[in-house]
Amino acid sequence: MIEVHNLSKKIADVQALDQLSFSAGDGKITGLLGPNGAGKTTCLRTLFNLLDADNGWAKVDGINVKENPLKAKKGLGLFPDPFGLYERLSPREYIQYFAELNGLASSAASAACEEVIERLQMSDIADRRCKGFSQGQRMKTALAQAIVHKPQNIVLDEPTRGLDVMSTRTLRDLLLALKADGHCILFSSHVMQEVSALCDEVVVMAAGRAIAQGSPAELCERTEQDSLEEAFISLIGSDEGIAA
Amino acid sequence: MTAWIKIYKKEMKDAIRDRRSVMAALSYSIGTPLIMCILFIAMIDKFSSPSALYLTIENPQQAPELMRHLQSKDIFSKDALPEGKSTKAITLTIDDGYLYAMQHGELATLTITADFSNDNLRSSIRRLQRELRSFSREVAALRLIARGVSPEVIRVLDVQAKDTAKPEAKGGFIIGVAIFMMIYAVFISGMNLAIDTSAGERERNSLALMLSLPIRVSDLVLGKLLAVSSFALFGLCMILLVSKIAYAYVPWQELGANVIIDGRFALYMLLFSFPLALLAASMQLFVSFMAKTFKEAQSYLTIVLILPMGMAMVTGYDIGPDMLRWLPVSGQQKALMEVVKGNVLPWDSLLMATAITLLLTGALVAALMKLLSSEKTVFSL
Repeated sequence: MIEVHNLSKKIADVQALDQLSFSAGDGKITGLLGPNGAGKTTCLRTLFNLLDADNGWAKVDGINVKENPLKAKKGLGLFPDPFGLYERLSPREYIQYFAELNGLASSAASAACEEVIERLQMSDIADRRCKGFSQGQRMKTALAQAIVHKPQNIVLDEPTRGLDVMSTRTLRDLLLALKADGHCILFSSHVMQEVSALCDEVVVMAAGRAIAQGSPAELCERTEQDSLEEAFISLIGSDEGIAA
Repeated sequence: MTAWIKIYKKEMKDAIRDRRSVMAALSYSIGTPLIMCILFIAMIDKFSSPSALYLTIENPQQAPELMRHLQSKDIFSKDALPEGKSTKAITLTIDDGYLYAMQHGELATLTITADFSNDNLRSSIRRLQRELRSFSREVAALRLIARGVSPEVIRVLDVQAKDTAKPEAKGGFIIGVAIFMMIYAVFISGMNLAIDTSAGERERNSLALMLSLPIRVSDLVLGKLLAVSSFALFGLCMILLVSKIAYAYVPWQELGANVIIDGRFALYMLLFSFPLALLAASMQLFVSFMAKTFKEAQSYLTIVLILPMGMAMVTGYDIGPDMLRWLPVSGQQKALMEVVKGNVLPWDSLLMATAITLLLTGALVAALMKLLSSEKTVFSL
C-alpha cells in the first residue's frame, strides 16, 4: 500500500509536485499517467526519499518515508529508468547483490535469486556478464533485481520504454502475476495503451497535480468519453506529451 | 553480514574485472621503479666525474711538470684521446710566460675556458681546479723549502672534518624522491577505481538505484572507501616489490645514498601509508562524486593530485618550513626517510601527521555522506 498526501516539491523555479495526493492499494496495478514533465519521476523519487518534499508526506505500508526511510524502503522494490546495471557483473551476481542489500542473508539471497531467474526464464543468461545484453535481457535483469526480495510494493518508472513486443509481454505477465499474489504495483507511464491494458486504477497527473483517480471505466464514465485516451485528453485539456 | 562488507566485496569484484582500474594500479607501480632506476643511473653518469678526463690543453710544452702532475691524476690532453672516449668542452690555456715565471719563482698564469653554467661540465671543472690548486701548493712548498722556510708557516688552520652521517644517510634528496614515488602509489593506484565507483556510478545511472535501497549512506561510503583504499595499498605493495628488485641494480655507493628495501622498511611503509591510503581514497571519492562524468572527475583529480606531489617535492628538496613534518604526506615521508637513514623515528611528528591525516579523512567522509544525502548532488539539480 502506497499513500501520497499533499506532496509538494519545487525544483529550481519549477513546481514539480503541487499538492499531489493519491493512493495505490495492494492487489492492484496503479498507473501514474501523465505527459512528459508532469512530475511522475519526481513523485517516485520522493517515495524513495531520494528527494525531500517541501510539504506533505508519503507512506509505504503505513510507514512515513521521511521519518523512517530504511524501514519504508524495505517494503519497496524499484525498477528504474534507466536500468543502472553493472556491466561487469552477471545477472546472478547483480540480483544476489541487491537481494543481500535488501536485507536477505546470503543463503536466502541465493535461493531467492535462483527462484527469480527461473521465474523470468533467464537461466541462459544468468551467468554471462551484462555487457552487451539486449534491451530485453537488461529489462529482465532489472526486473529481477526489483522483485528478488519479494517486496510488498513494486515501483516501476516508465517500464516499457524501449522494449520489444516479447519483452513487453513478459513484463505484463509478471505484473499481473504479482498483482494476483497481492502485491501493490505502481508504475509511471506516458503510454496510454499500456496503462489501459494493465491498470486497475489510473492516477492522471499534469503539472505536478493528480487531476483524477479511478479505474479506466470510471474515468471514461466521469468524462463521458468512450476511451481512456479521450477521457485523458478531456481531463487535462491537451494531448501534448502523451503516446497512444 | 553488514551492508558495507557486501558493498566492499561487490566493489572489489567489479574493480578486479575492470581492466582499466587494474592497469592503472599496476602501470604506476611497475613502471615507476624502473623509470627511477634508469633516472638514478643517468644521474650517476652526470654527477660523478668519469675516471679519465680529456680536455683541450693549449701550450702544454710550457708546463711539462704540470702535465705530469695532471696525468698522474687521470687528466689528459685531447691529443691522447683513445677511441670511444669524448673530450669535455674545457680548455686549459698555459700562458706563454709560464715556463719563465716558474723558473724565476714568479706568478704563472693559467686560464680555464668553459661554460661554467653547464651542469655536465661542473664536476669536471671543479676537479681540474682542485688538481691545479694541489700542484700550486706543492710548488709553493718546494719554493719555501728552497728559501729555508718551513712550508708549515703558511698553514694557519688545520681543519679536520668528522662526518657523523651513517653511510646510508647520504644523498637525502635521492632518498626523498625514491620514497615519495612509493608513497605516491597510494594516490595513483586507487584513482581509477575511485572515479569508476563514483562519477562512473552516476554515469551508469546506478547511483540513484543504490540510494533507493534500504541501506545507510554511511555503509555505501565505507564500502567504497575501503575498496579504493585496498587498491591503493595493493599498488603500494606492488611498488615495494618491484622497487626491491629494480633498485638492486642501482650502484647506490656512487650516488652516496642507499635505499634498502628490507622487511623493516616495507613494514613501516605499509603502516605509515595506511592512513594515507584512506585519505587518498576519501579525497578522490569526494572530488569524483562532485563530477558528473568520468572524464570530468579525471580532470578534477589531476589538479587535486598536484597537492601531495608538491608537499613531497618540497620535503624532498628540504626547502619547506619545518611544520611540513607535522602534515600528511610530508610527515610520513620524513619519518620514512629517517627509517632509510637508520636514524631514530620522529614519533612526535609522525603521530601528529597521522592524526591530522585521519582527521582529514574523517572530515572528507562526513562531507561525502552529506554530499550523497543531498538531492542536488545525486540528481545534479
